[in-house]
Amino acid sequence: MIRLFHEIVAFATWYNAVFLVEAGARTLLLSASGCLCGFLLGFLLAVLRHTVGRTLLPLRILGVLYTEVFRRIPFLVTLFLVFYAFQALNMDVPLFWIAVVSTCVIGTAYLSEVVRAGFAAVPRAEWDAATTMNFSLFQTLHHVVVPQAWRTIVPPAFAFFLSFIKDSALASQIGVVELAYAGKVFNNRGLPPSIAFGSVLLAYFVISYPLAKAGARVEGRLALSRAH
Amino acid sequence: MGYTPHFGQIARYLPYLCGGALISLLLAALAFFGGMVLGLLGAMAKTSGGPWLRRVAGAYVTFFTNTPALVQVYFIYFVLPDWGIVLSSFSAVLLGLTLNAGAYLTEVQRAGFLSVHRNEVEAAETLGMGRWQTVWYVIVPHIVRTLYPPLTGQFILITLGTSMGAVFGVEELTGRAFSVNADTFRSVEIFTVVGALYVVVTIAASLLLAAVGRGLFRARMGVFG
Repeated sequence: MIRLFHEIVAFATWYNAVFLVEAGARTLLLSASGCLCGFLLGFLLAVLRHTVGRTLLPLRILGVLYTEVFRRIPFLVTLFLVFYAFQALNMDVPLFWIAVVSTCVIGTAYLSEVVRAGFAAVPRAEWDAATTMNFSLFQTLHHVVVPQAWRTIVPPAFAFFLSFIKDSALASQIGVVELAYAGKVFNNRGLPPSIAFGSVLLAYFVISYPLAKAGARVEGRLALSRAH
Repeated sequence: MGYTPHFGQIARYLPYLCGGALISLLLAALAFFGGMVLGLLGAMAKTSGGPWLRRVAGAYVTFFTNTPALVQVYFIYFVLPDWGIVLSSFSAVLLGLTLNAGAYLTEVQRAGFLSVHRNEVEAAETLGMGRWQTVWYVIVPHIVRTLYPPLTGQFILITLGTSMGAVFGVEELTGRAFSVNADTFRSVEIFTVVGALYVVVTIAASLLLAAVGRGLFRARMGVFG
């Protein structure tokens, strides 16, 4: 017990604290930018899948294939696929951006389903009414669909972001210096593994727990406002 | 630019990779069933346990759902030996995945418990059913039917999660992909094929589970979307 105390004191240096905070910031930045990109593309994909008519049919089929395929591939495999694809194309992309692109690839598939569920909550008749009134697709989305659908979309989209804060730990395997990588660095520097990985677990918890609490509160409030 | 893929070179590794897919499924099935047991205990503790049991189950769920499975397994793999418990990489990954799945499955099963309506139980009492008859003929069928679709979803997520076994040298599908990559350096081709294998395996699992669910519990479920 006393030894553990001494080890914790030895670990608590300014340098280690800065390293851990920077790694945590990178974890957050990676998840946030990947999920934001995934949300934008996923939104477009959901809009595409909601269109009718023959001309866009091939694109719609591709969209369905994309969502079905990329929701069934592990993030680790996607990471390595993107990593080696950039390498094969002789493109020198920083590791952080490879991880962002991978997150975006997976996020697009999951979040397009989330947006699609939100669209489904708006009755088809309202889309048709907007078309009848000569609304363009953008106007329909902007004035009719999104104002109603966002309550259904926000909670699961935020839940996806939360789950990706944890899943992004796999980015350490291609060498992105985020929290899980920081744990490996501490461990390799000869720190006791309990402290190396314990501190990293704690850091993830400190990031994830308040966000989860806030998310649950927002979800509760949205559910209330929907009931009225 | 100008990369020419050569899938032919890795065709002979296909049986080896398929074997890896079976190990992935085995790992997922073990973690899922272990997690179901943990989750059942956790859900019972959270819905009908005393204040301390509730608190312990709550802490378990909160901790394991707010930290990454990868770092949980790192902790198990590197810290437990210091405490005199040496696990093989397979058991360390299995233990981590089971504990992680248990936390999520606690929440899923708790939702199932809470979905049983008071009216159903009262109706059973009115019909003169005994306590165990109510549990067996009313509560359990209701819970199974409600929970089966989300549980199959969890199983697929756990199957995808087993890919992190590769990090610890477990010879599951992704782990074998790493080995073949080291042999051939046809990286893009290998990870494309392995990604496709994951798609095939999880779709097969979804189809099978949906058929079982429809046949046994009349659960309403789709495979896609």
